[in-house]
Amino acid sequence: MSRSSILGRIKGALAQAKVEDLPRTLPEFPEYNQRVDKFREELEKAGGIFLDGRQPDQCAGLLTRVMEEANATEMYWETEDMLDKHGVPFVLGKTKDASQASFLCSYHFRQEVKMPINIRAKQYQRSQLGRISISASSAQFGVAETGTIVHAVRSGVGRLLSVLPASHLVLLSERDILMNGKELFDRLRLGEEGSALTLVTGPSRTADIEKTLVVGVHGPKKLFVMLTC
Amino acid sequence: MIKISNHTHAALSDQQPQKNLLHVLGKTMTDRNEAVSDVPNWEELREYARQVKSHTLSRLNYYLEELENKVQEKGAKVIWAETPQQAIEFILDLAHQKKMNRVIKSKSMLTEEIHLNQSLERFGIDPIETDLGEYIVQLAGETPSHLIAPALHKSRGEIASLFVEKVGMSATDDVVEITATARRILRDHFLTAQIGITGVNFAVSETGTIVVVENEGNIRLTASVPEIHVAMMGIEKVIPRQSDLSVFLKLLTRSATGQKITSYINCLTGACRNGEMDGPREFYLVLIDNGRTRILRDDYLRQTLACIRCGACQNVCPVYQRLGGHAYGSTYQGPIGAILTPQLGSVDKAPEHSFASSLCGACYEVCPVKIEIPHILLKLRNKTQTQKNNKAAHLPIEKWAMQLWSWSMQSSYRYERLAACCRVMFKILAKREKLKSSIPLLKLWMEHRDLPIFPEQSFRDFYQSRKQEK
Repeated sequence: MSRSSILGRIKGALAQAKVEDLPRTLPEFPEYNQRVDKFREELEKAGGIFLDGRQPDQCAGLLTRVMEEANATEMYWETEDMLDKHGVPFVLGKTKDASQASFLCSYHFRQEVKMPINIRAKQYQRSQLGRISISASSAQFGVAETGTIVHAVRSGVGRLLSVLPASHLVLLSERDILMNGKELFDRLRLGEEGSALTLVTGPSRTADIEKTLVVGVHGPKKLFVMLTC
Repeated sequence: MIKISNHTHAALSDQQPQKNLLHVLGKTMTDRNEAVSDVPNWEELREYARQVKSHTLSRLNYYLEELENKVQEKGAKVIWAETPQQAIEFILDLAHQKKMNRVIKSKSMLTEEIHLNQSLERFGIDPIETDLGEYIVQLAGETPSHLIAPALHKSRGEIASLFVEKVGMSATDDVVEITATARRILRDHFLTAQIGITGVNFAVSETGTIVVVENEGNIRLTASVPEIHVAMMGIEKVIPRQSDLSVFLKLLTRSATGQKITSYINCLTGACRNGEMDGPREFYLVLIDNGRTRILRDDYLRQTLACIRCGACQNVCPVYQRLGGHAYGSTYQGPIGAILTPQLGSVDKAPEHSFASSLCGACYEVCPVKIEIPHILLKLRNKTQTQKNNKAAHLPIEKWAMQLWSWSMQSSYRYERLAACCRVMFKILAKREKLKSSIPLLKLWMEHRDLPIFPEQSFRDFYQSRKQEK
């Protein structure tokens, strides 16, 4: 009822309307030769923390630092194959005791290196989500112009793990850094792979009280982005 | 009928809020100007966006049907509502049918426009606002006073006492502490909510995606935790292609807050799918008319609907800067409110809105989609004055005054004499308060205007005397 009535009224109103053409070419967007540098600069301006994990042997130290800064004892991974996908030379190992806890171990040297970290890749429960201190996810893309990472929900990935915890770590492959928003919307098709795509730039923030900036109002207070090769 | 003049005295008499407002708006404008000067082809982006909006609005039925098809392809439902009542009834029916009453909301001007919260409250559903600014305004029982910063009119002290009184926060005016309190309280609401209602910044018709822009993360949660997500949009929010987003997002965030990009931009296409770990099981898109189809009729006025609600025109407007948002008495305030309010309703319901402007043109200069607000204001003034039931337009005294003016302007002698008369008259009036209120016509004029103080000497006399001295 309302549908036909609204559409009918629109058609009536626009019967004599002058129609302007839709512009065919997008305006130019800035391009960068040093994408990583620009990405890092913009991410840091937005309050994010950049970590360079392109040297595989650096990753362990960086992850330890992240856990310390997040004041966390365990980190929730979004998917189990994340480390592999990003070439981080660690796989999830299991402790020998029955506590079920996992820890990072070196993939590179085929030996277990105990880390002061307890990492779980278990499927999480909604009730647990509120208590998690840090989670980690893998970015589909990064955008250098604004220091943005692109989080894509798809099979095996949800919307909540990356937004509820107080801190969040994103793994981003160097080759996935695009120059600008134009390139981003050239590369992906909204709604094709999953139901939600979020462009994330820095921590959650508000300036609703006297324009004073406060970070971490509803989403993560700290956003770490670790660049991988 | 909404009368701005009823609120102007109150808004102007208190100096402190005016100073606070000027300070905050000034800061926003500085940030905006910096962010804009960083983009060498800003004008090109504005023109692109204007063209896209102009095209889409003149083919609106086509793009709305395309949007509907694409949204339905993803298994979601589209609801059309001509009036606020129809939109509200849909939500009430949905809540009733699913036996759900815990509703959370993210910021949406459209839901303010249709007074969604008040209507739902009447039926026992208390929607919780989750944007910090909106939450503050809701606690205070007020309405937003700015498109982007709803609680702009409140000082941190006022907000702190509000939190102490309403949610039992221990006394502090530390903004971080206030924010942490809100996070804690709202987190509980998030985790138990059953229906999440969001607005829409852009709806991409070629993919059936809604785009919602934010900084806090409350929209991410509102659209993810509850089992049902309802997105409500005015029919004018549709854009044809996802590639257009790159331009509109760049324009919106820089104009609204001076950020290159906001913390989160949510692109949502339907409800959660098989295999996804969480997300709403049902997604509804509500398309609301509420007077918009009427605005489409006029080839020139149609551009009013191109607005992307960035609030930049409010920040630069000398009238808004002094009055604040609430004095407008309407959901949409400032320059965009002055052109939108009379058109969404009818000019005789908001006869003063188009006059609440000095026509300085700053709103057009900052508008990211190039809406010609000053010209639209003039068109609307004309409409208001030609409406037959408008008494002011038919006062003969106004005509006589204008005739006297044009007669005096025809010779310098007449002009000087008239000005001399005015100087004497105003001097007498300035001394005698009673006189002002006893002359009926003068009383009418003085109600909303201050008496100008004329200098003792006219410029001509001053010039002559200087000449003689030399």
